[in-house]
Amino acid sequence: MNADLLIVALLAGAANWAFRALPILLRTDRMALGGWLERFLSATGPAAIATLFVASILPALTPDLIRLLPLITGISAVLGGWLATRSVALATLAGAIAHGATVWMIG
Amino acid sequence: MISQRSALLSGFSASLPIAMGYFPISFSFGVAATQGGFSVIEAFSLSLIIYAGASQFLALALLTSGAPLLVSAFTLIAMNLRHVLYGPALMREAGKDASTRYAWAWAFGLTDEVFGQALGALSCGQRFSEPYMFGLGIGAYASWLSGTAVGAFAGGGALDAWPAISAGLGFMLPALFLALLLSILSRRQLPVIAVAGAVTVAATLAIGGTSGILLGMLAGAVTGVLRR
Repeated sequence: MNADLLIVALLAGAANWAFRALPILLRTDRMALGGWLERFLSATGPAAIATLFVASILPALTPDLIRLLPLITGISAVLGGWLATRSVALATLAGAIAHGATVWMIG
Repeated sequence: MISQRSALLSGFSASLPIAMGYFPISFSFGVAATQGGFSVIEAFSLSLIIYAGASQFLALALLTSGAPLLVSAFTLIAMNLRHVLYGPALMREAGKDASTRYAWAWAFGLTDEVFGQALGALSCGQRFSEPYMFGLGIGAYASWLSGTAVGAFAGGGALDAWPAISAGLGFMLPALFLALLLSILSRRQLPVIAVAGAVTVAATLAIGGTSGILLGMLAGAVTGVLRR
């Protein structure tokens, strides 16, 4: 196995573990409760999910309406699926199926 | 109170949409790695050790272009800095008394999607439990590893004959993020969401994708601090 690859993977993997686990193990969320940190942390979740959604659809945005159609139907199906079932899993599946079906229909 | 076993199974079943979204992405990674000259074992090891999609694709680009070792490592590390925010945000929602005894193990699986799914479940009133986090994480991680292995074995062009399936699977993660956003949506969080989205677009166009994600997230969180 390539030694450079292994070193890079181990360094990046160790940092990932530290970023994900240490703040939980140290319970940094308990610090300064009631202050600005609490408001920062409570907004982090919605901000992160909004950011990840926007970042994930940005590459698919195009002025070409036909090529944009799968994205439109996919998003509409997620919205419809959520309103109908209030289930994250079913809304996600509805979006993916609608997106794939639209790609199939427009060829 | 639900048993540990049922919490584990509940977490595992909640990981299904994530697993379905991860498989095609990690499959693509396996294909790209073998096309870049890495062996199946090397591709699998990257997924096993790093377990972060964008970082792994970037690792391939850096390593095949001959970038210096430390530059490559620090670039990958910087890409995942945002994960520092996830644990505290999740534990704040979980409550002060939530157990973190086994967090050293399950927290490695706290990816963007696992974090989002766990936060969504807590926002819907579910109680935090470590077995649930293990179930959620194991389902996603297993999908990531198996997708990488299958992709590395299959080689290039395996899904080329099935563009609709490929497109549907590729839309699974955006769909999941949107569904999670809907599950935590409240009038109080609207300014946070709007600012995060707008800054992500602006920073992605002006600087790049990774900076866009980090700046969007920070701008949204700062909006939450400024909010009265």
